[in-house]
Amino acid sequence: MTVFQFSSPAWMVCPVILPVIAGLLCFLFSHRTFAIALAAVLTNFIVVCLLTGQLLVLGPMRCYMGGWQPPLGITLRIDGPALLMLLMTAVTGLAITLYARGYFSYRISDSRRAGRHQRQQRYFWPLWMLLLAGLNGLFLSNDVFNVYVTLELIGISAASLAALSGKPASLLASFRYLLVSLLGSLTYLLGIVFLYRSSGVLDLDLLQNLAANGSGIRTALALMSVGLLLKTALFPLHFWLPPAHANALAPVSAILSALVVKGSFYMLFRFWFETFQSTITLPALNFMGTLGAVAVLWGGVQAIRQHRLKLMVAYSTVSQLGYLFIAFPLARVDGGIPVWSIIIFMALAHACAKSAMFMAAGTVFLHLGHDRIKDLSGVRASLPITVFAYGIAGVSLMGLPPSGGFVGKWLLLTSSLGSSQWWWALVVITGSLLASIYVFRVMSRLFVIPEGFPLKKSESHFRLLEWPALALALISLFLGLAASWPLYILVHGTTTLAQVFAGGLP
Amino acid sequence: MSRTGKDHKQLDGFQRMLLLLVICMVMLLGYIIWSTPGNKPVLTDAVAQMQEQSGVESPVTAVLLNFRGYDTLLEVMVLLLAVIGTWSLTEAFFPEQVSEISPVQMGVVRLLAPVMCLVAAYLVWQGSHLAGGAFQGGAIFGAAGVLMLVTELPGLRTIPVPPLRLGLVLGPLLFTGIALFCLFITGDLLGYPEGAGGWLILLIETGCAVSIGLTLASLFAGGRPDNEFQGKNSPVSRTVSGDRS
Repeated sequence: MTVFQFSSPAWMVCPVILPVIAGLLCFLFSHRTFAIALAAVLTNFIVVCLLTGQLLVLGPMRCYMGGWQPPLGITLRIDGPALLMLLMTAVTGLAITLYARGYFSYRISDSRRAGRHQRQQRYFWPLWMLLLAGLNGLFLSNDVFNVYVTLELIGISAASLAALSGKPASLLASFRYLLVSLLGSLTYLLGIVFLYRSSGVLDLDLLQNLAANGSGIRTALALMSVGLLLKTALFPLHFWLPPAHANALAPVSAILSALVVKGSFYMLFRFWFETFQSTITLPALNFMGTLGAVAVLWGGVQAIRQHRLKLMVAYSTVSQLGYLFIAFPLARVDGGIPVWSIIIFMALAHACAKSAMFMAAGTVFLHLGHDRIKDLSGVRASLPITVFAYGIAGVSLMGLPPSGGFVGKWLLLTSSLGSSQWWWALVVITGSLLASIYVFRVMSRLFVIPEGFPLKKSESHFRLLEWPALALALISLFLGLAASWPLYILVHGTTTLAQVFAGGLP
Repeated sequence: MSRTGKDHKQLDGFQRMLLLLVICMVMLLGYIIWSTPGNKPVLTDAVAQMQEQSGVESPVTAVLLNFRGYDTLLEVMVLLLAVIGTWSLTEAFFPEQVSEISPVQMGVVRLLAPVMCLVAAYLVWQGSHLAGGAFQGGAIFGAAGVLMLVTELPGLRTIPVPPLRLGLVLGPLLFTGIALFCLFITGDLLGYPEGAGGWLILLIETGCAVSIGLTLASLFAGGRPDNEFQGKNSPVSRTVSGDRS
């Protein structure tokens, strides 16, 4: 059958359809839900690997839903950035799925509240699977309205996941998260109304070719950007993020911080650097860069001031998201490495490092029963692998070589100095300094073993809790060493943005 | 909030400023949308041209389930997600004592509920050529469920969970299954085979109408069925009061 051939574009629907089926089955059955989810995540990973091969051999592809070409139908599209985001989701998702298994089986083994934890696990799997489908659908979508539908899928499942822990603090935070997310979606939808009225099409390619610069398009872009920024939690719209991310269950925190915010960010990136590229002005890019710079500093300072580990990691997300926006004004710089590719690269590095860090924080919480930073002494003795994972993830967040974070920041520095916009370089350096303060503040506690400290041995079912975090942390570390490979092709193969998008990134 | 009731109705300075800002914003947006030239009917023409190939006569159904069926597939998942989300949060609330329901209400519901289900089925059928379809039919079906919930029919408390879950998942699962079936037959997700479009769309709509109706009624109940997590080891005596007459 033609569907199963290597060159068939139909493979593209698998990253959406597989998790959807898994989510439905996980809701339907009450047993073996982990097996269903694991099968879906593994198959998703294999299909994404196949898509990588496809992209390298055949170049960017499009898949028309129902065989209807645009403007009538919906198109899925795969190219460099989309594929890298899919890979990021597949790898991080696999690790998070394993970690969640370990997390829930550890908590259910505690007989006091086994019923509640069973319920949490029962609903975690369908919600997580549908969230995964939404994310993959978003990365693949080439239609403005379809993006709205996937954003809804992501928003509702993410808010439900955040509320799963059931504690009053998390209920309040996730309710606020839901409202913010809905507000963002509706603003985005209002933008679509303007866009549709002034252009009459919804397909991203057609919109790009239209290249209209009327007030309708500009209003639409502004509305859609504000909606997406609200979901991405760029300063000053970040207020909902720290409580929602810090009070969720550990695997959920990892999902929210590593993947969910990247979804809306990715769409913003698409709009600003591809679809509406001709509408974007330099002041607008500078404005985004400024917000990003404030986010880096504000998030860093707030992270240092926190007393709880998970809140600190959540504020670190606010700070790290700022870097992605600092790259915006630099992306117009000619010559050298196209800076926008750094944006995607940094998003990858952050996803791996941040999910590893949240997993490590969650394991520490399970082990100690709290996550007060001042009482973390001696964890190294009982959870060496977790502390190791935390440290390596911290290396990537600080931007020390050879981590992925280092390469991203180095490229930001060189391009800001090269274009004589030294103030961005100053922010990047200060941000790294702040990051090293908040990472080391916790690290020093973790490593100190007080005299006469009872040496608890790590329990055996901590294996699934410790190794996925370490694997992700190592990936974020070695992403820096492997960075030359995609960047080499970028620098030598292409010069302009349009060509790179046409030719695929890796 | 230690405000008195009188203060509550008055806006403070910040709220006034916010209100002014919102009004200005709305006026600005209204001006912009009024001043942009109306949209060129690219899509309307395209839909009209392809109508015959879609397998249905109603343009709305053609767009929803054929041209942009992928959107609807994901949208159906969003509806299911709403139920999963509420079920994960809390149990459905049923008052401890069944309050007195007036015989008039009982009688009306007994008359109305079957008729509403019939209307729902008709709306789904009508969707192929007139206004109607899974969402409209599902809404009526859901309303029938809400009526029964309000009347506190005793059977509703003890609805076994597996069939309820199956009903909720039926539409989305059927939709996904047909989408994949089309993928294997024609090579396009939701690319209906020549001539089979009408029947497949009706099948999808029927399944989805059932699921949407159950979804809406479950959302009204406001939580998961309370007998879900008391399965094996604690056989709770169900409060089935036998007055079904």
